[in-house]
Amino acid sequence: MLTGVWYFLTSIRLAIVLLILIILLSIAGSLIPQEQEPEFYQKYLPKISGLILFLEFHHLYRSPLFLSLVFLFLLNLLFCSLKQLPAKFRRLKTTTGDHPPGRMYKLSTEDSLKIDKWLNREILSLESVLRKKGFRTKTIEESGQKFFLARKGIPGLFGPELVHLGLIIIIMAGLISALFSQRITLAFLEGQTEEIPGKNFALRLDRFTTEYYPDGQVKSWISEVSVIENGQVKLQKTIRVNHPLKFGGLSFFQMGYGQDWDRASVELQVKLSEEKNIKIDIRTGESLTFEEGYRIRILSFVPDFQLEASGRVETRSTEPLNPAALVEITHHSEQVFLGWVFARQPERKDLHKRTRAEVEVRLVNFSAPTFSVLEASSDPGTGPVRAGCILMLLGLLTSFYLPFREIRIKQQAGSLPELYFYSRKQAESFQEELAVLLGLNKKTSKG
Amino acid sequence: MSEYTLLLAAFLIYFLVMAMGFLNLFKGKQEISRISWYLAVFGFALHSLSLLVRTVSSRQAPFTSMYESVNFLGWSCVLATIIFIRKYRLQKTAPYLWLLVVALMALASSPALPKEVTPLVPALQSYWLWLHVSVTLLGEAFLAVAFVASILYLLSAEKETAEENSSGRKERLDFIAYRAVTVGFPLFTLGALVFGMIWASKAWGRYWGWDPKEVWSLITWLFYALYLHTRLVHGWRGKKSALIAILGFLAALFTFFGVNYLLRGLHSYV
Ligand code: HEM
Repeated sequence: MLTGVWYFLTSIRLAIVLLILIILLSIAGSLIPQEQEPEFYQKYLPKISGLILFLEFHHLYRSPLFLSLVFLFLLNLLFCSLKQLPAKFRRLKTTTGDHPPGRMYKLSTEDSLKIDKWLNREILSLESVLRKKGFRTKTIEESGQKFFLARKGIPGLFGPELVHLGLIIIIMAGLISALFSQRITLAFLEGQTEEIPGKNFALRLDRFTTEYYPDGQVKSWISEVSVIENGQVKLQKTIRVNHPLKFGGLSFFQMGYGQDWDRASVELQVKLSEEKNIKIDIRTGESLTFEEGYRIRILSFVPDFQLEASGRVETRSTEPLNPAALVEITHHSEQVFLGWVFARQPERKDLHKRTRAEVEVRLVNFSAPTFSVLEASSDPGTGPVRAGCILMLLGLLTSFYLPFREIRIKQQAGSLPELYFYSRKQAESFQEELAVLLGLNKKTSKG
Repeated sequence: MSEYTLLLAAFLIYFLVMAMGFLNLFKGKQEISRISWYLAVFGFALHSLSLLVRTVSSRQAPFTSMYESVNFLGWSCVLATIIFIRKYRLQKTAPYLWLLVVALMALASSPALPKEVTPLVPALQSYWLWLHVSVTLLGEAFLAVAFVASILYLLSAEKETAEENSSGRKERLDFIAYRAVTVGFPLFTLGALVFGMIWASKAWGRYWGWDPKEVWSLITWLFYALYLHTRLVHGWRGKKSALIAILGFLAALFTFFGVNYLLRGLHSYV
């Protein structure tokens, strides 16, 4: 039973099955929109919504099915590498006697004599030929037998284990991140100070600038911030995209910006009569007297005006695509103007409830305070992931580019020598190399 | 000379090299393949110069729009092809590799892909852009070589003729594909996954977010892990290996094109 489980967990066939399953699930996860409400799936994918919700494919990458596959994969990686290791160490330790698996190079008599000569009278020249090619060599004489050993690329022997170990670390780091990483989104207006939850310091946004390209695209967001601890400015720094601030175990990232349209300022042109055309600067929510007996108030401002079927006004987006303000003007408490005015459609009057015909209002300009959107995050998985990546890369390099090669020559007293060779993969091409290197015939059989 | 003139010259040379290669399939003349190799190197030099001119004048990495990325992938494929021809000769495979290069360059020059330089959004202004994209595309170029060799393998498996050297040729295609994967896989791992994770953790504070582009890079990578391990199990050579190498490259192409046009996410810049 136990050996059955062990065999199952160490088998490369399981790895293949798991790889295929993980590929298939990942494809599903990239096609099914993730992290939506159940109603979303019932509405847009009515036929399979039941299945999606049952299998928790609406957050596939943390669904029990996906996580158990990843967990099984982790065990597979671990046990599979553990299983390989003893044989590899044994190979390195064994220098005499029964040799570990390898192939026997079937030597012709002529070749045997050649090697015999090298081994017994010109060992130095044999060593130097091999050393030139990067082999380490060793000769051992023991109870009438002679052993000659040449090896190179020992890191390559353990390359796969390095790759697998790196991967194990990366997957575990992912688990650590999933459990312990924290993220908070913070929005700052200029001058605003925010306590950082769970920390004993605060962050203040001193200045926020958005730079544009000539074509109007955003070039960069620049937040100049101060870290404040116990009422003292501890540190001042500029945060940009790709240039976070690190402080107190957190990193602060520039994610973007936003505009506080509820506090938009507008510039209006108000015409009370043919002679009286007045420019007014006012903020949303404020009211002000601008002419004997006249008061104006901005009841609401939306950046992207949209009239719902119910008659309610909404904003379609947070971009100023169709800015509109709801303006009220009174004269000695009598309403003389109430209606929506549009910056982009100055002639639009269908939403005016006007009492006096000569009053006209235009929305000339508008602006809103911009806030900087920062994200504070701490992720204890980041360091381990990097370490895992380095191991994995080293493992890949050694696996593919420092292949392990081994040559063993064994000679009983009074008989001709035997030659064995081993390479983790591609024994044939090693054999050809060897034949060229030692000037032998290219004949072998399995040993 | 302008970047486009240089590019056109390179394109014509690649086309010529391809045509010479296909003609030479019947003739099998050594001199022709030598001459076309030098021609290809010359075309590659012009292509490189064209990229350099664009980089200097735009002062940003030459792979920030779809046009630029396809062009850069084409350039990388030329590099991979030249290296592989140099190392393994590839008399019969080479013209098909050039066919892929020509197809990529033709795609790059299509009017559907705007050619003007677009300024970089804030997230892309980082030296990690250089490392991440160039190494990834370079890796994909070698995976493309494996893709072409694997297709040829399957095609030659179809017409199982009694030709004497047919099995030798198939073994060689299998070997070429494998060698290409052993170059492409580490590069792709480094560029797409490792540099990608490091950059994401620097720009967004998380190294992995299951964004569609990330998921598809992972899928691509898992296909090649599958490729390597199925080979370790006895018997999975040739046909099955070739099929996986083909699927892997299709996944890479989907990461490249499909995710941008069909699936949306943080990564959909170009
Ligand atoms: C995505 C996950 C994996 C990656 C990227 C990976 C990577 C590698 C690489 C690069 C090699 C060297 C291949 C070669 O030399 O051709 C290798 C070898 C190997 N892998 Fe994996 N591996 C993964 C998962 C696994 C799993 C889950 C197992 C468990 C069965 C496994 C078992 C092996 C074995 C037995 C070898 C051969 C070892 C040897 O030749 O000494 N691998 N792996």
